[in-house]
Amino acid sequence: MITAFFQSIPVMIVLTGVLTGISAALLGSFLILRGNAMLTDAISHSIVFGIIVVWLLTGQTSGPVQVLGAAVTGVLTVVLSELLARSRLVKMDAAIGLVFPALFAAGVILISINARNVHLDVDSVLLGEIGFVWLNTVALFGVDVPVAVATLGAVLVVNLTFVLVLWKELKLATFDAGLAAALGFLPGVLHYAILTLTSVTAVAAFDAVGAILFIAFVVVPPATAYLLTRRLWLMVMLAVGFAMAAVISGYFLALHWNVSIGGMMASMTGVWFTLALLFAPAQGLVAQALRARTERLDHDCRALVAHLFTHQDTPAMAEENTLRALVSHLRWTAPRARAAVLRAHDRDLIERRDGLLCLRPKGTAEVEAIFGRSNA
Amino acid sequence: MTAIIALLSSDIVQTVLIGAALLGAISGMLGAFAVLRRQSLLGDALSHAALPGVCLGFLIAGGRDLGSVMVGAFATGALAALVMMLIVRRTSLKTDAALGIVLSVFFAVGIVLLTVIQTQGGSGSLGLMTFLFGQAAAILRSDLWVMGGVGLVALLLVLAFWKEFKLVSFDAAFARAQGFPVTALEAVLTVMVALAIVVGLQLVGVVLMVALLIAPAAAARQWTNSLGGMVVLSAAIGAASGAGGALVSATTRGLATGPVVVLIATGIVMVSLLIAPRRGLVWQAAAARRARARISDGRVLATLQGFAQMHDDAGYPSERGMLQVALGVKPPAATLASLESRGLIRSVTHPPETTPHWELTTAGNSEAAALSGEPETKQRTK
Amino acid sequence: MRDDTLHEPEQALHVEDLTVTYGANPVLWDIDLDIPPGVMCAIVGPNGAGKSTLIKAALGLVRPVAGHVRFLGRPIGQMRGQIGYVPQRHSVDWDFPTTARDVVEMGLYRDLGWLRRPGKAEHARALAALAEVGMQDYADRQISQLSGGQQQRVFIARALVQDAPILILDEPMAGVDASTEAIIIALLKKLRDAGRTVIVVHHDLTTVQSYFDWLVMLNVRIIAQGPVAQTYSADNLRAAYGRHLAMIAVPAEEAAS
Repeated sequence: MITAFFQSIPVMIVLTGVLTGISAALLGSFLILRGNAMLTDAISHSIVFGIIVVWLLTGQTSGPVQVLGAAVTGVLTVVLSELLARSRLVKMDAAIGLVFPALFAAGVILISINARNVHLDVDSVLLGEIGFVWLNTVALFGVDVPVAVATLGAVLVVNLTFVLVLWKELKLATFDAGLAAALGFLPGVLHYAILTLTSVTAVAAFDAVGAILFIAFVVVPPATAYLLTRRLWLMVMLAVGFAMAAVISGYFLALHWNVSIGGMMASMTGVWFTLALLFAPAQGLVAQALRARTERLDHDCRALVAHLFTHQDTPAMAEENTLRALVSHLRWTAPRARAAVLRAHDRDLIERRDGLLCLRPKGTAEVEAIFGRSNA
Repeated sequence: MTAIIALLSSDIVQTVLIGAALLGAISGMLGAFAVLRRQSLLGDALSHAALPGVCLGFLIAGGRDLGSVMVGAFATGALAALVMMLIVRRTSLKTDAALGIVLSVFFAVGIVLLTVIQTQGGSGSLGLMTFLFGQAAAILRSDLWVMGGVGLVALLLVLAFWKEFKLVSFDAAFARAQGFPVTALEAVLTVMVALAIVVGLQLVGVVLMVALLIAPAAAARQWTNSLGGMVVLSAAIGAASGAGGALVSATTRGLATGPVVVLIATGIVMVSLLIAPRRGLVWQAAAARRARARISDGRVLATLQGFAQMHDDAGYPSERGMLQVALGVKPPAATLASLESRGLIRSVTHPPETTPHWELTTAGNSEAAALSGEPETKQRTK
Repeated sequence: MRDDTLHEPEQALHVEDLTVTYGANPVLWDIDLDIPPGVMCAIVGPNGAGKSTLIKAALGLVRPVAGHVRFLGRPIGQMRGQIGYVPQRHSVDWDFPTTARDVVEMGLYRDLGWLRRPGKAEHARALAALAEVGMQDYADRQISQLSGGQQQRVFIARALVQDAPILILDEPMAGVDASTEAIIIALLKKLRDAGRTVIVVHHDLTTVQSYFDWLVMLNVRIIAQGPVAQTYSADNLRAAYGRHLAMIAVPAEEAAS
């Protein structure tokens, strides 16, 4: 049974994708929230250099030495970029853009020079070969398991353990690095721990999805989840869900259209993101458009009561607290002013008294709430 | 030597070299504005996003036609820039997330389209792969006109709106307060970055294009303090890297142009960061050392003056060990020698002790007084 | 809505019922404000009171929900060349490859119009403006090599070179040393005495009385406005700053001593 499972090619391909997706989404959620998404870009490009150098030095194309050795390059990229930015000769964004292309270029040249001896070719650096992961297997407990599945499985366990054990610390360091430092949680160490694990995951996933498609798995599912929720644990769960959905749907669509499996899986993360961008219940563009009208009316309504409050019981009241003043002083169009007055009237915020607009107790309370909040 | 001359006089090699230099110059010129406006990584996202456009241009034209490929790349690049803006403005996702999303998803779609073209077969599909890493050798003579045209448009735009681009890049809020159409000017600048990418794709490919935008500008910034100088120098460095990379990859089999160009440009950046006058790291280190040396001179004089005042004797001889106790470090022999050669201190023997002692000269006494602001110690009458 | 009629022309700055929100958060609520010409006016208020937003809204950099703004009776669109604006110093990248004189010349770009480049006349005007702030010797200095105070003076020179009747400065005293502050204040007072209107976002309450003659106290709403002598009172300060006032010199105590 188990042997049959691990010998089914489609299952192994999907499993490789799912393991990549979950491992990446776990870390990606924190990278997104910390504003470090583009460091993934730098890391995943520059590990190409690490992979080829480790191969030249040790002759190993997979296994722990390869994964850890190559991952060092990823972290090195970030360290170099930060050092360069600290010299103040270039800004951080330019520093990132100087370091990783250089390492990537060096890696590609090394591959080209050693083209006859290395299992890599330049195309697979970009695309990965998830369709062929089942070719390279290793015996685990008497069962032949694809190397990629075994490596990614181990990486997933490490990532999951990291996130679960350090959940509280990660949460704090992400939302308030200052407080985390004050409490002795070493946000700097956590920062590099996340980046190291991202590097490790990128190397482990490299054979399957290549250098660039990996970025999609790290960044896009967590970003999609972020459009739907503000609760961290739910965001991580949703990100994992979107990653798995992208992998599975991407696999079948790729078979159907006979196109790149990895490319289709990454494209599907984009499809989920687009759907969330458009239709997310609170933050989606459609919801925003629907809300814009009522929201503007509410804004106007608040501006109106604030205006009335400012001039209530002042000599200028007779001039200011009229519909005409809204047009001539607030520079609203007459329909806009009428709509705001009607809305305020409907909500029992104002009333008309002797031809003047006056605040009702509820309106006064609303103004005080506004001003009280802004003074707090 | 004659082989090189023969190579350079070949028509194909000339085309490739001119093309590569032209592409490098355009990217360098426009990259300078991108770097100054901190849009370096936008260049990375837009260049990856050009891949689906390249493929679409290829599919529609039915082959490798530079015009349609450039139009396609420009179209998806522009779409990516718009999506970026939409995400940043209308959601709470940060810029870096928006960059990552646009970069990876557009690229993934490009990969899918690439496999569509490959399964369709056709003679030109290999030519398409060159857009991933660049292949200067694929530049045709007819391509030069297209590149030259784009370069000319970019150059004219930069010249025409020079002062507006400068103002918007330096201080957009002031420009807006002055009534300049800042949003439109910024859009033109972003469009020009997209244009530079579209043009540069041939040379370095979508993956490494960002380096051709950033590296020449980052190197040029170290050598000059004027915007004009930076833009010109950046274009020159871009042209040199492009031509150099094209030459190397044309003469070495199996080497894509892009990585070579990027490594040459990176080399120029590294040299610039190290030795550029006044800004370079070597220069900074030397300046820091001179400053330390100056302080060290001053502290030795001040310490000697302190001992002299303590003993009320301007010519009080101090032993090196005493100076070490007072300064915390042993004063370097070089510092003492330099002070002595400048006539500020002199070495004396202080029998019965045999180690050398140092005392302030009259000049040294006044120098120390000037440095510390305390009155000169009176010479004890002997 | 376009409206080009002259309105309240006797005020240097006239703000009427201005409301600005960022999202759902109010930043400015129903601001009514008049600053007469020829005064040196401070805008003060606690952090987050909307001081910079008020200026940005007045200059048309931020779109208000309601209200309108007039400079000498005209809308901002007609007055752009006649308002010298000094943004906060840290709002720009001082490592930008340019010189002090070049930055000052940027104040003339608007007058030059499209396509024309600064020439001899503009160079001379820029140098004169730099001389006014005592920076003529640094004209060709790369701006990153200037101290914070010198950078601030270059920014002020860029506003001066426009020869504008109204000057608006956003926190010009932030992060400059005491001697620079004295130079800036002396210069601003000289401009005021020459009939210009100077409007300054200011954060140091202890110097309000000695530097300024007109005061606007802001905390989302207008707390008080008018001549410093009448507006700078303990009651108004308490209304503007609330419980944070303990750290600030209260004028009543100064009057008593």
